[in-house]
This record gives sequence, structure tokens and C-alpha cells, in this order.
Amino acid sequence: MSTEDPSSRPRRSAPAALLAVTALCVLLLVSAVHPEANQVPAEGADDGLPVLRAAAEAEEETHYAAVRRVTGPEGRSASLRVANHPDRGIVFAPAGSEDEPFVVEASQALESLDDRLLEVLRETYRVVDAGRTELGGRSARLVEAVRADGTVAGRFWVDTDNDLLVGRTAYDRDGGAALSMNLTDLETGEGEWPDHAWTGQPWGEALEAGDREDLRSEGWELQEHLTWDLHLVDARATRHEGHKVVHAVYSDGLAQISLFLQRGKLETDHPTAPFGGYVGTEQGGAGISSGHDTIFGGDAGQYQTMWQADGFVFTVLADAPADLATSAVTALPSPEGSSGFWARVERGLDRMGPL
Amino acid sequence: MSSEHLGERLSALVDGELGPDEHERALIHLAKCEPCRFEADMTRRLKSRLHGLGEPEPDLDFMGRLSSLDGRSGQDGPNPFAPPLGGGFGAGPPLGSSRPLGGFPGDPDGPGGEPLAANTPGTAAPGEPPTAAEERGERGRSEFLAQLLTPFPGGRYAVAGAAVVTALLGTAFVAGGEAEDTPVVEPRLADFAVEHAVTSRHIPVETSPEAQETRAEAGAEQAGR
Repeated sequence: MSTEDPSSRPRRSAPAALLAVTALCVLLLVSAVHPEANQVPAEGADDGLPVLRAAAEAEEETHYAAVRRVTGPEGRSASLRVANHPDRGIVFAPAGSEDEPFVVEASQALESLDDRLLEVLRETYRVVDAGRTELGGRSARLVEAVRADGTVAGRFWVDTDNDLLVGRTAYDRDGGAALSMNLTDLETGEGEWPDHAWTGQPWGEALEAGDREDLRSEGWELQEHLTWDLHLVDARATRHEGHKVVHAVYSDGLAQISLFLQRGKLETDHPTAPFGGYVGTEQGGAGISSGHDTIFGGDAGQYQTMWQADGFVFTVLADAPADLATSAVTALPSPEGSSGFWARVERGLDRMGPL
Repeated sequence: MSSEHLGERLSALVDGELGPDEHERALIHLAKCEPCRFEADMTRRLKSRLHGLGEPEPDLDFMGRLSSLDGRSGQDGPNPFAPPLGGGFGAGPPLGSSRPLGGFPGDPDGPGGEPLAANTPGTAAPGEPPTAAEERGERGRSEFLAQLLTPFPGGRYAVAGAAVVTALLGTAFVAGGEAEDTPVVEPRLADFAVEHAVTSRHIPVETSPEAQETRAEAGAEQAGR
């Protein structure tokens, strides 16, 4: 027979009950963040992929000039003239500023990037040939990128006469059109090459798998996947004032997100406070930047944000749906917006990693 | 003093037990007698070393456990493992100090003895060794401290856990500090924008009022599909 005081039993079992409740809460939280049904690669026949490959080849072989119309998530549109010279590059000139063109010079690096983008599209979505349709009065073949749950993530229109990609739209997870581009006033044939142009080429130092592994071992946040659908498709580096800057390109095959990494920290008077440590957009990448419009200039489906964490400065530029840009930003280390005790402890735990 | 050696008086000389005259005569003999001088020196050294050994110190941990055993027996009633004389091992008188049969002369328990007032609690003279009551007080304070750490089963694990958490927080606080040599950088956003435009093959564009007016006809077809 026990001589234990019965009134003391509830108190002694309280820690055990608390532990059980905590474990249950953790279990529920873990199960709550499990990937949703549509957050997995879509399987099935990719019968639309040959159509897109043909369009990529036509881009490398066909001279043309057209007007590219870009429409953002709020329906705001903007236009620029484009002229494709397969051997030399693509000329861009915003409407009304044709005398200040920007040229992306042709390079093997960009052709390889196109191949990887198509491969990522195939890995992430089911690429379906949806048949013939019309776009702007032109006959086109419609190709759809379908998620695992059957919703459409993107559409491509390929001109049936010349195999050129004349339209593309990326949709957010709610089904809204997030970013659209289509070509109008299309004319094939070799046009003029500008006498004076601002030119650009990809940064010269390509980072192969071994280089990326070395950088990761040195603390660089250069992940192969940001999220289940954002794959690293290209990584390059250059030097600014002697310090290495890395450019990592992530894509789901429909949109591109550029992540720029460099060691260092921002100025203490940098305006990080208004957006919880993020500069340029609201926390998580949502919202259109107003901080760097004069530098980046765009406001049609383009996102940009900058912050510091773990001894690095992160800058994200994205031509992507807002939810995709948000998932990319939140997959990276959180900004160091506070110097308080718990913020420092949290930062230290992050740096220590799993014990 | 004769020319004989000191013999047994040598030990008394070393112990200082000789009378003044005997002591004077012994010293005169030592001045003349080399063997006795040597023996006196050796005897002095031997006694000195024996005195330097002192008494063995009791093991504190062992004594602590004995004390707790004693205290617990007082709290929980009779201890079935207690020695029949009561109290723990070592609590009784040392061996050889037991009272002889018939008692000591003047022993109150013995024949013709009288009560000993000094045995009454609280009447110990200053400077005397602590009484049993004082020892119980000291033991009670140490037991109070021990009970503070064990208010519930697993208390020592809670203390260990708190120490681990404190160490973890301290380590994380240090690790979360900002490196002094981290350079201040100003990202070249213009260069980043160009690099992004090159890889995405798209340049940022500003929307114009005219373009916004025509947005319905521009994007409706693609967005509505």
C-alpha cells in the first residue's frame, strides 16, 4: 500500500502532461507544413516539349523585329521594341527611347541556359500540347505547363508559320495571370543593327558544381533548390572592388529569379526598418518595389528586395509571380533587422545549425 | 652523574621529563659521550616524525552520507538497518572508551555516583567541543540546502537541464554576434539589373498612361484563356 499523498499526484503528472501536449503541438505543426498535394513535380507525358524546343531553335535561327508587350499582375502593360539577330544578339529599346537600345549579346552560355530552362520546365510541370489556337489574329500552337493538381501554371503560344514564341503567360497559384509577354507587329527578316548600344553579357566566371560546393563550405548560401519548384539553372561570379559577387539564377521553367550574393553588411543607416529588414519590397517579397525604381525601373511583374544576414548581403531581382518570388525570398536566411538579445540568440542558433 | 650511559633517562631527557638537576647532569654527560649524543639525536628525530604524522582526516563524503542516514532515520521512524545501539556507525564512543564493569570512580551511574550537571542541554561551557544539539543544527542546515534541490522527483535533472539551456543560449548569443571584420558594401544594383536582364532576356519597362489605357485589349486574350 502506498503512503504517497494522493493530492500530490496531479502535480507530479503535470510536467508529463505538458510534455505530451507540447509533443502533440509539434506533431501538428510538422504535419501542417508538409508539402501540399500540388507542391510536387507533375508527372505525365510532356508532349508539348517538342513544340517549345522547336521555338527555341527558331529563336537561334530567325531574324525578326516586333513589339513586346509586357503585362503585370495588376493588368498594367508596357511595350518595348525587340529585334533578334541570331548571330549577334537581341536588341531591346523601350517605346519612345529607340535611340538608347540595350543589346544582349549572343553567347553559348545563354543557349545552354535555354536548354536548362526547358529541362526544368519538364521536371516541374507536365508540358501539354493543347492544340491549335489564335493569338492576335495569328495562328498559334498552345502549350500548357500543368501542375500536379491539374491547374495551369503557364501557357506558351508558338506561331505555326515560323515556330517563334509569340506569347507566354505565367499564372499564380490562384489562377490569376501574373506576368504576360506577347509579340505584336512581328516582321521576319534581318533588320538594322544599332550603331550605339549599351551591351551586356553574362558574367564571365561560370560556377560549376565543384565551385559551388566550395562556396557552400565557405558559408555562401548557394543552394541547388530554393523550393521544390525553384531549381538553380545558372551560377556565375564577378568581382566588385576586388570582392566576389555571385549571381545565382533560379527558375521553375516559367519565371526567373536572380539572387545576388556578396560578403558584407549594409550601411547602418540603410532603410531596412520600414519593411522588417527587407529593402525594396514588403517582407517576404510581396509588393512592388518603390525603393529602386530609378535603378531597376520596372513595375510590371518585377520584384526586387535586398537584405543582410549571416555576414552576407542578399539581393533578389525577379520576373516572376508574387507568390513564387515570395517563396524564393523566404527560403533564404531571414534579415538581421534587430540587434536585441533574442534576435542575436536566434541568429546564433541559425548559424550553429542542427546540433 | 657517573660515566655510565644515560640508558632509559635518555628518553626522559628528550621528553623533558627530567628534573632540573637530572637534566643538567644529563646534558654534561652528553657533552662528553658520543654514543649517548648520537642516540639522543636519533630519539629526538624519531619522536619529531611521529608527532608530525598527526591524525587521519575523515572522508567528507563518507561523513556526509553518514549524516544523511542519521537524519533520515530520525524522520522516517526506526531504521531497520540501524545498529542495535542506536545512531549510525561512528556515532557511538570510540573503541576502548567503554565504561569498565563497575563504572569509573565518581561515575553517576556507578555505585555512589552523583548526577552530572554538564550533561544537561544548553549548559556546555564556552570553548568546549560542540554538543550533539549543535551538530544537529549544522546537519539541519545542510539538509535544508539538499531539500531545496529536490522538491520533486528528477529535481537534479531539472537543474542539469537548466544548465544545458543556459550554456546553449550563451553559445548562441556569442555565435550570433556580428563579425568585426565584415565589410560594409553597397550592392551595385545597376550592374545586378543588367546581369538579370541578360540572363532573363528582358529589360525592365515603365508603364505609361497610354499603355495602361490599352491594357484591357492587350492582356485580356492571354489572361482569359
